[in-house]
Amino acid sequence: MLEFTNSPPLTLGIELELMIVNRHDYNLTRGSDDLLSLLDRRNHGFDIKPEITQGMIETATGIHDNLGEMYKELCAIRGLLNQCAEKLNLGLAGGGAHPFQRWGEQRIYPKERYRLVSELYGYLAKQFTVFGQHIHIGCPDGDSAVRLTHFLSRYIPHFIALSASSPFYQGADTLFQTSRLSSVNAFPLSGCMPLVQNWAAFNQYFGQMHALGIVASMKDFYWDIRPKPEFGTVEIRICDTPVSLGLAPLLAGYARMLAHHCLATGWDRIEPALYLPYTYNRFQACRFGLDGDIILSGDQGRISLLEDMLTTLDRLTDDARALGLEDCQRQLRERVVKRHSDSEWLRAHYAASGSLSDTVRRQSERWMYDA
Amino acid sequence: MHLPFGAMSLLNPLTALGIILALGILGGQIARTSSAVPTLTGYIVTGLIIGPHGLGLISQPLINATDEFVQLALGMALFELGRRIDLRWLRKERALLITAAGGSAVCFTALYLILPLFDVPLETAAILAVLALSCSPAALLEVLRENRAEGQVSERLVAYAGIGNLLALAGYCLVLGISRQDSGLPVESWLLAPGWIFLASAGVGLAAGLIAIHGNRWIGAQHREAQEVLLFALIALTVGLSSALHLLPALALLAFGLSTRNLPRGYAVGSPWVMRYSVVFFAALFVIAGALLDLRQLGDYLPLAILLVVLRSLTQVLSGTLMARANGLSRRRGALMGLALMPMSGTANLALLTSPALLPVSTATVLPLAIATLCLTELLGPPLTQLALKLAGETRPQS
Repeated sequence: MLEFTNSPPLTLGIELELMIVNRHDYNLTRGSDDLLSLLDRRNHGFDIKPEITQGMIETATGIHDNLGEMYKELCAIRGLLNQCAEKLNLGLAGGGAHPFQRWGEQRIYPKERYRLVSELYGYLAKQFTVFGQHIHIGCPDGDSAVRLTHFLSRYIPHFIALSASSPFYQGADTLFQTSRLSSVNAFPLSGCMPLVQNWAAFNQYFGQMHALGIVASMKDFYWDIRPKPEFGTVEIRICDTPVSLGLAPLLAGYARMLAHHCLATGWDRIEPALYLPYTYNRFQACRFGLDGDIILSGDQGRISLLEDMLTTLDRLTDDARALGLEDCQRQLRERVVKRHSDSEWLRAHYAASGSLSDTVRRQSERWMYDA
Repeated sequence: MHLPFGAMSLLNPLTALGIILALGILGGQIARTSSAVPTLTGYIVTGLIIGPHGLGLISQPLINATDEFVQLALGMALFELGRRIDLRWLRKERALLITAAGGSAVCFTALYLILPLFDVPLETAAILAVLALSCSPAALLEVLRENRAEGQVSERLVAYAGIGNLLALAGYCLVLGISRQDSGLPVESWLLAPGWIFLASAGVGLAAGLIAIHGNRWIGAQHREAQEVLLFALIALTVGLSSALHLLPALALLAFGLSTRNLPRGYAVGSPWVMRYSVVFFAALFVIAGALLDLRQLGDYLPLAILLVVLRSLTQVLSGTLMARANGLSRRRGALMGLALMPMSGTANLALLTSPALLPVSTATVLPLAIATLCLTELLGPPLTQLALKLAGETRPQS
């Protein structure tokens, strides 16, 4: 039986997975141990920890109800990480996937859970060397978390398109705006939460899966969105880590406006039709980004993703006002209208330089110094 | 048994290279079966066994025929080592600079003061102390590549070795000048000649670096093959030109690599290919390095050679340990970094000591002791480097 820890509604927290690259050819490098040892010597109080392979590092903010404060904390974390990385001659970079690393060369971080994942999933564990942003939204109770999880599934293509930053994978242009999610899809427990109506039903489902020995904890579900009962949040796991730090709180702000809309309007249309176009829409967003088409549930037809996002942002005006997120809403709208995309920024740089190594160098400078 | 390759008209650089590689691969394969010894030690031992001082299966003319190939291999290693010296990093990370420069100073001083206590002439001690600052770039890079070592010990080790080699070459020019001055040679011989050798070598490397940067930008990274050909051509040109001008090819190549890493827009020069294609070159280099070793020299000079090697390693381990915290390492890993610096380059150092234009006055007393020392460091160095990297947890675990 999972207990849902109630938390203040609509509070936010984010986790960011970052690349650790060397500074001679900008490939991923085994740097997390050295970086963490150096960080341990400083009394920083931030949440910075290893990830599944040693070329990755994860950081998380505290709980916030103000995007400005969240951005300040992210800047402080980045400043600390930069100091340590510079001492070690390492680069840090955002982006959903390293453009040319070879998955077979990655090393599993020596931690019990990662060792077990590696044993169970074989090469999938190393292929999971991809980098995402997870957004946690506080929920008052388990039932709200289930409702919010279903509600947000409709907007998953938006988050994908806004954050897409992994057009290159294993040295090639995938033609996708985000290739990262293909690595996640390979896991048997990926996808989306089943159509449960409330927390009791979710608990029943979890109990069955647990009894069958399929899962041991919520961590075993690699869903795009999942309730996180121990934190009292819903966790959106679909976003690529942005190439620049500034986009990370904007994505969190968007999630907050949507969550406010869901909880304030008492949305509860949990029905199978919601998930009929889910994988199609998800694919469209991954492949084409803002240029994709999505199918609306019911008989509402097909619409361009860009148009759907602008409509949604307009619909969230009252929520933005209620939450003091007008500036976030404006910046997101501008980004969509101007079709700004990290993936296209990366492609443009590659087209100009012809070198993926140089592309990662720019990617790293952008993350570390907003260059 | 001596095979008459030297007398046969069929001998040319390519047949020589083929024979050396084919024989070398046997030793390499045997070494590969042991996880304690790197493959390159197999090559060196093979060279030692089949070389003119061993079974004589390959003769001196055969070795001489492959000289250009060896110089090129050494050039590639030095170029890559130069590329690993990141001046921007060193400006910020003074601890590493102090470790390498301070460690080298302590090493030089210790050898310069202690060796004369064992009847080594002061001038010979100075030359040996300077050469002891160098570390074999090819051996180091090959051990790192074979073990896929990554991490702070590896990163700092390569930078330390690069700085050590630069100091060794600068120190060599200085000792050369002092030695000639003491011998009463005119000022152009003791001051201008060594100064010219140093500056001109660095100048050739810098010029090659500038051509590489602008050439690569002009070609564009979309045409990677053309860039690779240009870089290869420039390495060959730098080796050839600096040899022809009686300069220091090692310094020119280090300066070449260093400039492509540190000059503005140097990122236009990608270098992973150097290590990718270097396997064949390095295999031949190590077999020949082994063939040049003469273990008979150990007979008379073994105690002194052991003393030199132990003192050199002790000072390097000591500097690594004392500066470990400042380098962000544990004391143990700092010590391991010092230990990993053990290999010395026989080929590069012997080239220095046997080049007429670069001869110090008392080469005759230096050479036997240098060869004895190199016998030890070439044979013991690479396995110790590998062991140190393994103990530091930086090598890839065997799958």
